[in-house]
Amino acid sequence: MKSLGLAVPLGIGAIAVLAGLMTGAYLIFGNTMDARLLRAEPDGLPERADLMPYAVAHGRSIFQSECASCHGREAKGNNAVGAPNLTDKDWLYGFGRVSDILQTVRYGIRAQDPRGRNLADMPAFSHPEPYDREKLLPLSPNDVGDVTQFLLAQEKRPADAAAADRGQRIFDGRGGCWDCHGQDGGGDSEVGAPNLIDNIWLFGDGGRADIADSIENGRSGVCPAWVDRLPAASILEVALYVHALSHPQEATR
Amino acid sequence: MKPGNAWRNISKFNYSRGLLLMGFGAVVGLFLAAIGLFTAKGTSTLIVPPEDVALVNQQPIVRSDYLAQLRTLYDVDYEHATPQQRRKVLDDMIREELFVQRGTELDVASADPATRMAMVSAVEQQAATDAMTDLPNDEKLRRYYEAKKARYSSDGYMTARDIVFAAGAAQDALAAARAMTPEQAMAKFGAKESGKLSAQEFYFAADVHIGRRLALVAEALPNGAVSAPVTMPDGTHLIYMIKNVRPVPLDFDKAKAQILADYRRDSSQRMLAHEQIFLRERANILIAKDMQ
Repeated sequence: MKSLGLAVPLGIGAIAVLAGLMTGAYLIFGNTMDARLLRAEPDGLPERADLMPYAVAHGRSIFQSECASCHGREAKGNNAVGAPNLTDKDWLYGFGRVSDILQTVRYGIRAQDPRGRNLADMPAFSHPEPYDREKLLPLSPNDVGDVTQFLLAQEKRPADAAAADRGQRIFDGRGGCWDCHGQDGGGDSEVGAPNLIDNIWLFGDGGRADIADSIENGRSGVCPAWVDRLPAASILEVALYVHALSHPQEATR
Repeated sequence: MKPGNAWRNISKFNYSRGLLLMGFGAVVGLFLAAIGLFTAKGTSTLIVPPEDVALVNQQPIVRSDYLAQLRTLYDVDYEHATPQQRRKVLDDMIREELFVQRGTELDVASADPATRMAMVSAVEQQAATDAMTDLPNDEKLRRYYEAKKARYSSDGYMTARDIVFAAGAAQDALAAARAMTPEQAMAKFGAKESGKLSAQEFYFAADVHIGRRLALVAEALPNGAVSAPVTMPDGTHLIYMIKNVRPVPLDFDKAKAQILADYRRDSSQRMLAHEQIFLRERANILIAKDMQ
């Protein structure tokens, strides 16, 4: 029975190893970098020097494979399709906090996800029914020209004063532009209405023709919802990478 | 044979070796099971994954949703929220999840029109998600543009005047009016401005304001031309065209944003149609004889 004598300690050993492995698995999977990232307060993460290098490195790699096709490899955006520059501090939605960016990455913009950002579009004022969401009347070509002049004047660029004055009345009145962009044209990041007086343009180069084109034909850019396409940790890492792009001092702290 | 050799000789039965290998196999199997337990999506687990704040009958309440809710309700982040605020938000979210699950059990959608509409809308949205967020390459977009080039042009607009003469106005008077300015024609023949055209009109707006027939006449006029008389129920019209800016085809780069939006919309409609076909094909639909 020499063999049986050996089997008992072997069995006990196996059970001990098993228990150790189970504990190890819990500790490993419960405390990976990803898990630590996910359990942390997102807006506090940029201060976490122990987590940020890992998150930013992973986020960059995911960004290059999933987001660069619209925003560009340098994340400087693409004005032809209305993909914003992510390296500046001009935020279309929210205030540039990690939680704001996270919300956009998770649920997208006009991405058919009910939890996503989808409160408003830019109406197409040269169309018979400019806006699906509420009743707005079309504008005439003169009106479009006047509103364009108003916006140029707001940016202190050369503009026809009389036309700008008429444009302001349309902007604040029947055009309904003030409702989203604010009376000063400063925008509203709650609904994704861009600031129109900071000389940062989402579509085109901000020239007269591009502004008129936006007023006439409307805009409604799209960002995919990644919630069902990427793991939660990857989404957070992308958000942290994007945050770091626009807050380089914090990222290198 | 030495004991060590008996272990290594696999042609011979060795009780200790068998037990050890069995134990090793069990450990590996359990280890893999543990990985599944802690990581696999949808796995029933007793541990709340790090991306969630709670599991309600294995349905996750996502941490980022919880934090967003906390911010929406109290305008605070987690660190600055009071324990009561944290608890309240979590309780509310758990309650909502429980009620949604109960709603599924009760098959609320079969009776409640609002729920049915919301479900239809949600499924439609989901079916179109890929199409609406797809970024096709330039080659695909160019092909689409070439196939639907007529869509992509600037908006035509006009500055014109619509002058109405009394029904039955003499042909020679109308011919004379065509050579005059609108003011002269109105003064001489007692004609009136219809007042339906404003200073500048997009083509579609002219269409709405003066009607399709007159708008088509107007669109065809060059700058400075006067139309032939058009008899309408309210009298005979002459359109004096001051400036007619016809639609100009847009090149690919100029129209790219619009092309992309149209491409996505068309794709999503196709996907929705496919979804409907798929659902009908797999469904067992019986239609009453008198409805067939």
